[in-house]
Amino acid sequence: MSDATVFIIDDDQAVARSLRWLIETVRLKVETFASAQAFLDHYDASKPGCLVLDVRMPGMSGLELQERLAARGGYHPPIIFITGHGDVQMAVRAVQAGAFDFVEKPFNDQDLLDRIQRAIAHDAGQRDKEELRSQLKALFASLTPREREVLDLVVAGMSNKAIANTLGLSAKTVEVHRAKVMEKLHARSLSDLVKLAMQNQPG
Amino acid sequence: MAVGNESLLLAAVVLGWVLTSTLIGALVMALRLREARQRERDKDEAHAVVLERLRDNECRLRAIIESEPECVKLQAADGTVLEINPAGLALVGAERDEDIVGKKIYTVVAPEYRDHYRENMRRVFAGEAVVYEFKSITLKGHTTWMETHAVPLRDARGAIYALLGITRDITERKWGEEQARRHQTELARVARLSTMGEMATGIAHELNQPLAAIANFARGSLRRLRGGNVAPADLLQPLEEICAQAERAGEVMRHVRDFVRKRDTRMTAVDINRVVQSAARLTELECRQHHAKIMLDLVSGQPRVWADSIMIEQVICNLIRNSVEAMAEARSPVRLVALSTSRPDDDTVEIVVGDTGPGIDGALIDRVFDQFFTTKPEGVGMGLSISRSIVESHGGGLRAESAAGGGATFRFTLRAIGRTLLTNERRYSFHH
Repeated sequence: MSDATVFIIDDDQAVARSLRWLIETVRLKVETFASAQAFLDHYDASKPGCLVLDVRMPGMSGLELQERLAARGGYHPPIIFITGHGDVQMAVRAVQAGAFDFVEKPFNDQDLLDRIQRAIAHDAGQRDKEELRSQLKALFASLTPREREVLDLVVAGMSNKAIANTLGLSAKTVEVHRAKVMEKLHARSLSDLVKLAMQNQPG
Repeated sequence: MAVGNESLLLAAVVLGWVLTSTLIGALVMALRLREARQRERDKDEAHAVVLERLRDNECRLRAIIESEPECVKLQAADGTVLEINPAGLALVGAERDEDIVGKKIYTVVAPEYRDHYRENMRRVFAGEAVVYEFKSITLKGHTTWMETHAVPLRDARGAIYALLGITRDITERKWGEEQARRHQTELARVARLSTMGEMATGIAHELNQPLAAIANFARGSLRRLRGGNVAPADLLQPLEEICAQAERAGEVMRHVRDFVRKRDTRMTAVDINRVVQSAARLTELECRQHHAKIMLDLVSGQPRVWADSIMIEQVICNLIRNSVEAMAEARSPVRLVALSTSRPDDDTVEIVVGDTGPGIDGALIDRVFDQFFTTKPEGVGMGLSISRSIVESHGGGLRAESAAGGGATFRFTLRAIGRTLLTNERRYSFHH
């Protein structure tokens, strides 16, 4: 967690400085940006951490920044929105659009710090999952087209005999392909195989 | 012989002529005398008729005055009531003539209006016809408002000997006026409050920013102190920040207070440019939120106007807000609000709020000032109506225009005071 950074984006420099002063008490790295655009200009998706940003900002709003990050595709760090009193609608929209969390001003410091920690933990988890997913992707990429066909039918719940009939192969050949798939994907059982196939599905 | 006869004849003719002349003369004289006597008689008769008519007239006038529903009275220069009709008695709360006739009128004039009353009487006795209002406390102790139309009465030589006054009770009208004035002030306050309502989220944000910063600096400091890992000198900066943010919050509050305070119109000589700049600052947040920019184009020379600066500021804020919202609603690609002041002539200052929005539908332009007319989904339709009445209460007019190529323009004028040096130099500046 030590390499995680809290990216604060707030047009109000006094608020940004005060957040830095507060967040640094839990030994987190902090970077502040005066606008959404300034953040995007320095954005590096590979840096772990989370974003803390004000819903209301001149220029690009917090919601717009969230949309931009989502539109880039791929993973982006979790966003905690800070909303003013009476901005509940905005907060709801933000969460519907994929925000991790929101805190309403005035907020309790511990509450904000807890949420930041949760967001960072979530980010770490997501990055692990992302890692696993790309490994899986590599594993699946090693399958031959025929092995892929056999795998899909296995996962669909067909017996070897049914698969053999469907693909016009002998049951023996299907058996060989299946063993090869298990080996390549490091699966020990049919249930492992099904789980991995599910995990490899996009999304 | 013939001569003798002739002389006789001549004498006879002369005598005859003389006699005839004398006779005719006497006859004429007699006739003239008769005529003169006739004229005398006629004159007497005419006199009698005139006198009779005068008496009739006097009776009629008395009857009219007696039955006149309004107070008719005669007063001497020192304020003594000489005569008063029954309606007058009722008006001052008298039962009988003696209650008021022969007494000073000031007994029924409220003390704070006696000087005012005296001054008007003085003018009447100087020959003027005047109309004046005053507060009265009747003999029965009721407080009423009166209006008197007074004229001087002159004798045959033209000397003013009395004041003829016709007085009516205007308490109800006064009360109505007072109500209307209060109503107007109240409306303006409601308008301020409702624009306040629209601004509430903005103000909450404005206040929440410094409060949030204060809380963060304070808590960050507490955490470090509790953790025992901070040098006192490290706390100087955050403490300074806390002070600055507290002042910032105070400043926001001061503005809010100025906005909502219920008060009567307070006219002072104000520099209109300052009012415009202040309005631009007050609407800055909304402009930012809707990505609109304010451009100022102010006439030089600090043109001063008689105005209630808060109310005029309110009008300008209102117009800016309308523009910004209209441009945001229409998703106008360019969102500019142009605020300008100018001096079309020595006595006038014109304030113009123009925008690059969609403009106003020609069919609606006459209705924008109607109460409860609005095109905004959550509008109340009071802003422009109140703005117009504020401008009118300043003796100016507020007009709406819409250009063919889009963009709405609202302009109003205020009375300028003093002559300022007009130069061609103008100050341009951009507000965020």
